[in-house]
Amino acid sequence: MHQRFVTIWFRHLVTDWWVLRRPALKDQPFVLAGPERGRMVIRAANGFAQSEGIGVGMVVADARAMLPGLEVLDDKPERAVTLLRKLGEWCIRYTPLVAVDLPDGLILDVTGCAHLWGGEEPYLRQILTRLRTAGYDVRGGMADTIGAARAIARFGKRGSIVETGRQLDALLPLPPAALRLEEGILLRLRKLGLFTIQDFVRMPRSVLRRRFGTELLYRIDQAMGRKVEMPEPLQPPEAYRERLPCPEPIVTATGIGIALRRLLDIICERLVKEGKGLRSALFMCYRIDGKLEQIDIGTNRPSRNASHLFKLFELKIPTIEPALGIELFVLEAPKVEEVSPLQETIWGGTGGLEDVNVAELLDRLTGRLGKDIIHRFLPDEHYWPERSFKEAAHLEEKPTLSWPVDRPRPIRLLTRPEPVEVAAPIPDYPPMLFRYRGKVHKIIRADGPERIEREWWLEQGPHRDYYRVEDEEGRRYWIYRSGHYTGENPHGWFLHGFFA
Amino acid sequence: MGYSELQVTSNFSFLRGASHPEELVEQAAKFGLSAVAITDRNTLAGIVRAHVAARGKELQFIPGCRLDLLDGSSLLAYPTDREAYGRLSALLTLGNLRAEKGECFLYKADVYAHAKGMKFIVVPPAGLNAAFGFEDVFREELGNYKEAFGGELYLAASRSYGGDDAKLLFRLSQLGGRIGVPLVATNDVHYHEPARRELQDVLTCTREKCTIQTAGYRLHANAERHMKPVEEMRRLFRQYPDAIRRTQEITEACQFSLATLQYVYPEELTSEGRTPQEELTVLAWAGAKERFGIAIPESIKTAIIHELGFIAQMNYASYFLTVYDIVRYARGENILCQGRGSAANSTVCYCLGITAVNPTKIELLFERFISSARNEPPDIDVDFEHERREEVIQYVYRKYGRDRAAIVATVTQERQKGAIRDVGRAMGLSVDMLNLLSGAIGEFTAKGLGDDRIRELGLNPADGHLRKVLELTGQLIGFPRQLGQHTGGFVITQGKLSDLCPIMNARMEDRTTIEWNKDDIDALGFLKIDVLALGMLTCIRKAFDLARQHYGLELTLANIPQDDPAVYAMISHAETIGVFQIESRAQMAMLPRLRPRCFYDLVIEVAIVRPGPIQGDMVHPYLRRRNGEEPVEYPSKELEDILGKTLGVPLFQEQAMKIAIVAAGFTPSEADELRRAMATFKSVGVVSRFGEKLVNGMMARGYTQEYAHRIFKQLEGFGSYGFPESHAASFALLVYVSSWLKCYYPDVFATALLNSMPMGFYQPAQIIIDARKNGVEVRPVDVNTSGWDNLLEKRRDRYYAIRLGFRQVKGLREEEMELLVKNRGEGYMNVSALVDAGVPVAALEKLADADGFRSMGLDRRRALWEVSALADQPVALFSGQPSESVLEERVPLPEMSAAEQVVQDYAATSLSLKAHPVSFVREKLGLLRVLALKDLAGCRDGAFVKVAGLVLVRQRPGTASGVCFITIEDESGFANLVVFQGIFDKYRKTILQSRLLMVEGKLQKEGEVVHVVVQRCHNLSGMLRQMVERKEEAPTLFGGEEKVFDKGRNFR
Repeated sequence: MHQRFVTIWFRHLVTDWWVLRRPALKDQPFVLAGPERGRMVIRAANGFAQSEGIGVGMVVADARAMLPGLEVLDDKPERAVTLLRKLGEWCIRYTPLVAVDLPDGLILDVTGCAHLWGGEEPYLRQILTRLRTAGYDVRGGMADTIGAARAIARFGKRGSIVETGRQLDALLPLPPAALRLEEGILLRLRKLGLFTIQDFVRMPRSVLRRRFGTELLYRIDQAMGRKVEMPEPLQPPEAYRERLPCPEPIVTATGIGIALRRLLDIICERLVKEGKGLRSALFMCYRIDGKLEQIDIGTNRPSRNASHLFKLFELKIPTIEPALGIELFVLEAPKVEEVSPLQETIWGGTGGLEDVNVAELLDRLTGRLGKDIIHRFLPDEHYWPERSFKEAAHLEEKPTLSWPVDRPRPIRLLTRPEPVEVAAPIPDYPPMLFRYRGKVHKIIRADGPERIEREWWLEQGPHRDYYRVEDEEGRRYWIYRSGHYTGENPHGWFLHGFFA
Repeated sequence: MGYSELQVTSNFSFLRGASHPEELVEQAAKFGLSAVAITDRNTLAGIVRAHVAARGKELQFIPGCRLDLLDGSSLLAYPTDREAYGRLSALLTLGNLRAEKGECFLYKADVYAHAKGMKFIVVPPAGLNAAFGFEDVFREELGNYKEAFGGELYLAASRSYGGDDAKLLFRLSQLGGRIGVPLVATNDVHYHEPARRELQDVLTCTREKCTIQTAGYRLHANAERHMKPVEEMRRLFRQYPDAIRRTQEITEACQFSLATLQYVYPEELTSEGRTPQEELTVLAWAGAKERFGIAIPESIKTAIIHELGFIAQMNYASYFLTVYDIVRYARGENILCQGRGSAANSTVCYCLGITAVNPTKIELLFERFISSARNEPPDIDVDFEHERREEVIQYVYRKYGRDRAAIVATVTQERQKGAIRDVGRAMGLSVDMLNLLSGAIGEFTAKGLGDDRIRELGLNPADGHLRKVLELTGQLIGFPRQLGQHTGGFVITQGKLSDLCPIMNARMEDRTTIEWNKDDIDALGFLKIDVLALGMLTCIRKAFDLARQHYGLELTLANIPQDDPAVYAMISHAETIGVFQIESRAQMAMLPRLRPRCFYDLVIEVAIVRPGPIQGDMVHPYLRRRNGEEPVEYPSKELEDILGKTLGVPLFQEQAMKIAIVAAGFTPSEADELRRAMATFKSVGVVSRFGEKLVNGMMARGYTQEYAHRIFKQLEGFGSYGFPESHAASFALLVYVSSWLKCYYPDVFATALLNSMPMGFYQPAQIIIDARKNGVEVRPVDVNTSGWDNLLEKRRDRYYAIRLGFRQVKGLREEEMELLVKNRGEGYMNVSALVDAGVPVAALEKLADADGFRSMGLDRRRALWEVSALADQPVALFSGQPSESVLEERVPLPEMSAAEQVVQDYAATSLSLKAHPVSFVREKLGLLRVLALKDLAGCRDGAFVKVAGLVLVRQRPGTASGVCFITIEDESGFANLVVFQGIFDKYRKTILQSRLLMVEGKLQKEGEVVHVVVQRCHNLSGMLRQMVERKEEAPTLFGGEEKVFDKGRNFR
């Protein structure tokens, strides 16, 4: 059977995606730009912007001069690749062999596929229509070779399907650029007045080779089908998802537990094999009455410990309402991460955060008590005490800096400083005594002041003069005076923390 | 007991200090400090400003420096006397010259070697270690310092409110006591008032390349690094009163003042044991004989005697001799030069050959603008050919040595755009926001960006963050950002220059500069000689060379026939493309109105089209008076003396300054200060204060307020682009010389101009069109006849023909083309002969693109066909054998149409001798009823016209309130378009994008000056694309043919 290929050209791939994300952009010119040698250069422009004369490679400043209302968005170079992969995966419904054609196209090996959709014409039309409906401005081409299909998709004027064996005829009126040639060769062809493929394609091969090198011949051969071209097919990623159909509907918690256990074993086995662990899992129970019951769990670090995961789920099994029975169990792990093999060596761990047992304990505590019960703090680089720490986002998070030791800070910091009454010599000497919650503390020793200004870009207000003081019982406190002593505000003293 | 602040970081420690030296001194005086030092990091760049600011105040200024060492703790150094200052400066010079520009590498050993006569303060670590002590390294280091500096060493103690101040001070005094280094109180000042902390934080972010949100501990925790009053310092150090007392000890020891620095002129310039004055006298009279012949006119004699007397009185002889020496060198090397400036247009300078402006042509009173009251050195700038100025610079370095001559620094200041970018970036604004703001910031005034304008940008003026950004930007504007090199100002001294000021490496190779800028050296009375570059001098010299070769003429700037009516006639018709200065659109529009008839008219012409007269609205009154449409009258008798030569309208900077003195009661130095204040973006307060004083002063003397305001406006304009009569006169000479050349030898002039490109207002294409219009034949580039430069070829009729050179072809390299010329022999018969001659194939391809193979009978396409096969040349064993391509059958290539040829010509050389691109679309334009540009002259004023042409230049001068001027060109000529703001905004895109622009509008005619006032614009660039007919279905590549045509240049 003859090979057949379809190529799809996304004329405004990334800008179309933006419009899908932000529909407001649909009716206005906008561009995507990124820095190049210190200037913002346009990498993509939507149709509107292009019709206003703004093109790729232009400097944003120039474009803005022409079109002051131009919207400029940040371009992420990897976005096109990700998008094409996704679209390619979607196309697998039409053929199993899909490849990404950077920067803005897809290649589909459709050999023997088209008849399933009632022939080549409806086949191609359906692919293109579906993509267009999804919001992408696409053009397609179909031919015996990738080269010809690509040429016809991007440069063809009449029709988009080249009949088997007719690729030469189809290419003749097209410009040389349709052959995927380097800029240098194109320029030379153009200077020589060879504006279309028919102007040179029949010249003796030696003549062409001497002047344009082997690339031109190679590309011609590819398009004609004399040289085979093998695109690298896109493999769809396999989902972490296992099914367990039941011959008899399950109605008991024990039954559900067994099913869950079995599915967990299968998934965990696969995770171990691939060096991965799951961060979240979803357990779905399909009831015979068509309803779906599901429970989910999350972990603090990637895990593939089936019994640990089972324990997490176990707490929630009672919430499942089996009703007339469950006929299908599905376990899915939507969030899977790499596991560093280092952890495997831990036996008799140190009890630190690295220890799997700690993580599992935390998982269980959270599962039992609910979220936001356990906190972990890391230092944050701010002088202002209320902002000098932050909550760790997850267990793995490493502090980016160590806790500062040059400025002693209390072991317990009050969330809100509490006012105290103080007797202190002015203007900025340490207090002699203070009254806190009705009790008078006589100060024996003191150090300070440590003057901390507000972070002016966040808030305005007086600075604080912090003192470390010790009362006669040997207790140490962190108290401060807000602002300079003015006499008007005698209660400007606060207690902010306790030292050990 | 007094207190002196000895540790002060000004904003000359770039991105550290947040106050100007002046502000710090000002504050110190206000707080009643006994003395203040400036100790910037490894630099003395800020001390002159502080010195000047401290003049006349009850405050001693101590020049100092913080020495940041590569191998030890930082030291604050204070010279106690002149010699010690010289050593400090030499020390910094040493460190500077070791490092790249902007850095200074110093080691302890260097400091030890230069330490004599200096007081030192060690800067201790900012805090204590975990054991509440100092690291051993520091203790040991302190011991070493003590050994080296003995009793001159102190230990700095500062109260930074870090929480452990008491402990730190205690440990310091303990350590100091043990080693014998006394404590001295400092406050490590970074800004003059606490409010500047915010700006200092922003600067820290800029330095650390982070944003204020992420800066964290890189900022200071509090705002305590500000200047504090004596009382407060005493309170803070109440437990260590000795530390306060020692600031006085150091203050008393450091009595050195910058005022005692003596600039000494270099001396080795005399011969036969004469004093400089005698030498100058001899040279002046010898020169006079040369210039005027044996019979020197009486008036010249008087002038020379008078000037020499004045020079003797002011002791300027050495200065004149230094300039003379440089000029003599240049002349010996056949480098053209021309002096300008107040002293340059003197009879003595004419006799010395420093200027070629004949003093009989223009009566500039020599000492009129050298104010003896201010004892300011005279001002002579010398322009040299731009291609050869470096030779002159290197001569100066060679002659005086790098230790005695260096270029003056320029302090690059934060301008509006830079400031808002720095602040915005530090405050974490997005790139888009930054672009938006810096685009609008042009309108940043004293009051900041107006609320309306902010709203127009789509921003919220009430937004606190934005407010803060704008507020800090306002503070940052005017901050020094880096030290650059002046365009050519040299300081040359008799002794070692490094005794006066540290020398550093410039970014350019083989250049060294000092750390002070021209204001600084002015303030200290140092003398500067400007060695500047001027493209037109290169062009004129090349023209002189060509005139000698081809016409046998020995031309110099001084011997060109003067007052030639034909030259003035040409100028009056604005046929001045390529001529120095008066070739711009605005100048060309002025010429037919002004109709210069004599040399002084050219002086006026040069000076009148400038921001000063335009902003001061002086241009039209002058024209009206000149044309007799308005009576010449003077607001007062005293102004008649000043304004007599310019019909009562002030046009020159000197006149405006004089008016300030005579009519507003300014002292000469105040007038000068005013001009400076406006020139250097100094605090806006100064300018408006002077403005008030000027207007009030003038009104008090009976002038109208309106007139006074105009004078002030004009001064404002002069501030940024000062254009004095003395400079205009020197430029006028070059205007005349270049016009004369163009008038009589257009072939020579055009060739010289093309060979000096890039320069001037026009592209080679226009120069060539103009030359052809004047009857000069221009021949295309050809491998068998062209050289790298454009050449003159044998005379056909009146003029020589210009043979375009390889330099006109894009992408060719001079060495390769010289090889081509060298090996040309009897000429190249075929393409492979060129390869055998060693010319790279890539260059041949470029030559083929430029259609340079016609002499071999190959058009560009055929030539490219041949050339592109050359990569396949037989090599090694087979070299010399005919290539396979000789044997291959001849492949027919499509013929090129004339239009295609022109497009390709433009692509390769940006010009075409074959035809003008617009001629190919003329037929289509005709259908649209578009006039040829040459026909505009025949239309009546006010007619409604349609014209089209290639856009050459778009210009939106700041002085024209949003008006855009466009020059277009078609096959018949040029036209100037005027687009008013409203129309511009409407057609912005069309105007900026069009290469071929069609406009409809009204013709405005005033004598010979023709403008089209645009009402509608159309982009016809697409027509250029279609001028190349092609087979159907052939889509254009690379976006189309029109791209090969110049986009047109945009000027402000």
